[in-house]
Amino acid sequence: MTGFDVQQFRQHFAFFQQQPDWVYLDNAATMHKPDAVIDAVSAFYQRHNSNVHRGAHRLSQQATAQFEQARATVAGYINARNNHEVIFTSGATAALNQIAFGLMHTVLQPGDRILLTQLEHHANIVPWQLHCQRYGIIIDVVPLTAEHQLDMVAYQQLLQLKPKVVSFSHISNVLGHIQPVAEMVRQAKAAGAITVIDGAQGIVYQPADMQQLDCDFYVFSGHKLYGPTGIGVLYGKSQWLETLTPIFAGGEMIDSVSFINTTFNKLPFRLEAGTPNIAGAIGLSAAIDWLQNYNIAQIIEHKLLLLKAFYSGLSAIKGIDILSLPVHNAGIVALNVDGQHPADVAELLNQQHIAVRAGQHCAMPLFSYLAQHNSAQHGAVRCSFAAYNTLDEVNRCLLALEQAVEILTA
Amino acid sequence: MTLEQLLADTKPALLEIQQRDLTDIKQAKDWQSKYRVLMQLGKKLPAIPEKMKQPELLVKGCESRAWLLHYHDKTADRHYFVLDSEARIVKGLMAIMLCLVNGMTTAELCKFDLCHSFDQLNLKPYLSQSRGNGLTAMAERIKACCPAK
Ligand SMILES: Cc1ncc(COP(=O)(O)O)c(C=O)c1O
Repeated sequence: MTGFDVQQFRQHFAFFQQQPDWVYLDNAATMHKPDAVIDAVSAFYQRHNSNVHRGAHRLSQQATAQFEQARATVAGYINARNNHEVIFTSGATAALNQIAFGLMHTVLQPGDRILLTQLEHHANIVPWQLHCQRYGIIIDVVPLTAEHQLDMVAYQQLLQLKPKVVSFSHISNVLGHIQPVAEMVRQAKAAGAITVIDGAQGIVYQPADMQQLDCDFYVFSGHKLYGPTGIGVLYGKSQWLETLTPIFAGGEMIDSVSFINTTFNKLPFRLEAGTPNIAGAIGLSAAIDWLQNYNIAQIIEHKLLLLKAFYSGLSAIKGIDILSLPVHNAGIVALNVDGQHPADVAELLNQQHIAVRAGQHCAMPLFSYLAQHNSAQHGAVRCSFAAYNTLDEVNRCLLALEQAVEILTA
Repeated sequence: MTLEQLLADTKPALLEIQQRDLTDIKQAKDWQSKYRVLMQLGKKLPAIPEKMKQPELLVKGCESRAWLLHYHDKTADRHYFVLDSEARIVKGLMAIMLCLVNGMTTAELCKFDLCHSFDQLNLKPYLSQSRGNGLTAMAERIKACCPAK
């Protein structure tokens, strides 16, 4: 017993009542939304809808207050020093694009280096690449060890090249491995680098404490934290947010505009051009408020239980090649059936109403590495578990996998 | 392996699929049997050798890759195809697609409605998810072999 009542938890999700036949194990792609989130979003549209920071009327002031309260909720959740360190974006991707674009020229000069890792999501590779190529900035990459963990020795060595920026994910979206982010930040700071953490998968596993972690930037998407799509968070220390060149310009983000010169508004508004996703921010803050009713340690324990049952079930199925390690794993398992294309495996699971993802999961560089070692030349099947998944669902997935293997190897 | 050989090997395979397997699929009593047949279909088609898988033949799905070779016999105005895919189920579905279009005249190919034909075979559900598995992309590539008027 974990002290966590998964059936009670599940009851907060209308989705599971609507789709009782499905076992949803694609949580790393997006999570389901509790009623509290759906209700908050519709209540906003039904009762309070107005634009923020601009109406002369009381409705707009109320919407503004709700929106700013949402910012305060997020800031509190990640223990930011100030509310204005939370910038609302459309998601993790938009936040990473803002950081990469915003540091060019202001911080990064031709000939400078930045450091990424082999297991990043494309969202933490391509924005850097796009701008680094134009500005003549060199990208170094931390390799993995034979166990598919980050090679921390190589990391230390690469830090000696004095990268100006180090950007890495908190948790790998393919393997589920939890990176030693606190240690990585400490070493990067000692080497004088700005630290960026892609928390898209990390934030749902455990609330990250910005003051303790002391990274310079941390980004995530609302939809992977029980929140709506189209809302995300760019956390940054004030000093660095002030330094970023805004990627979007327009209304709201300015102080004064003339055709001779425009001056920018203060934080957070200088990085939030245009009408923000008001309902999205309110939905995200409702998700966080709702989640606070539960004990995160118990949820982590529940997910560990699922993971343990899954691993032990997998070991009884012939021909399964598991790419993820069971230790330091946040609840994501990448696997293949020996000699079979992951798309075939996923399609046979789909027939049995098991929702998983197959392919390279927006991490082609990781798979070009994994392909040397494993059955992963065509990618992998990814089963990602969430707090609302049950042991029964783990078993259904295992049975379905067995059936798939049987059909594929007949 | 040459294109001629591949075409020659594809033809009887498609004939067999059309005459035997399609009925089996239609009459399959459960999804498992249907998939067992589907996966055999792909095996019946000859594989395109790696050397011949030129980038311009690639038809990209989200999860798997496929390749299409096209030959137009201009004298008889007949279109012939050879295809391959990394994924077996997709290859089986594509094989069915090929059965339907192989040997068509230009006019027939231009008129061909994949959606309608798959519906008749009770295979339409596979098309709805086809953006991922590349079936629609393959159908579009086949249609694109119609010379523009
Ligand atoms: C590690 C990681 N980074 C970034 C992203 C991008 O998130 P979004 O598509 O919500 O912007 C994802 C989403 O899959 C992810 O898993």
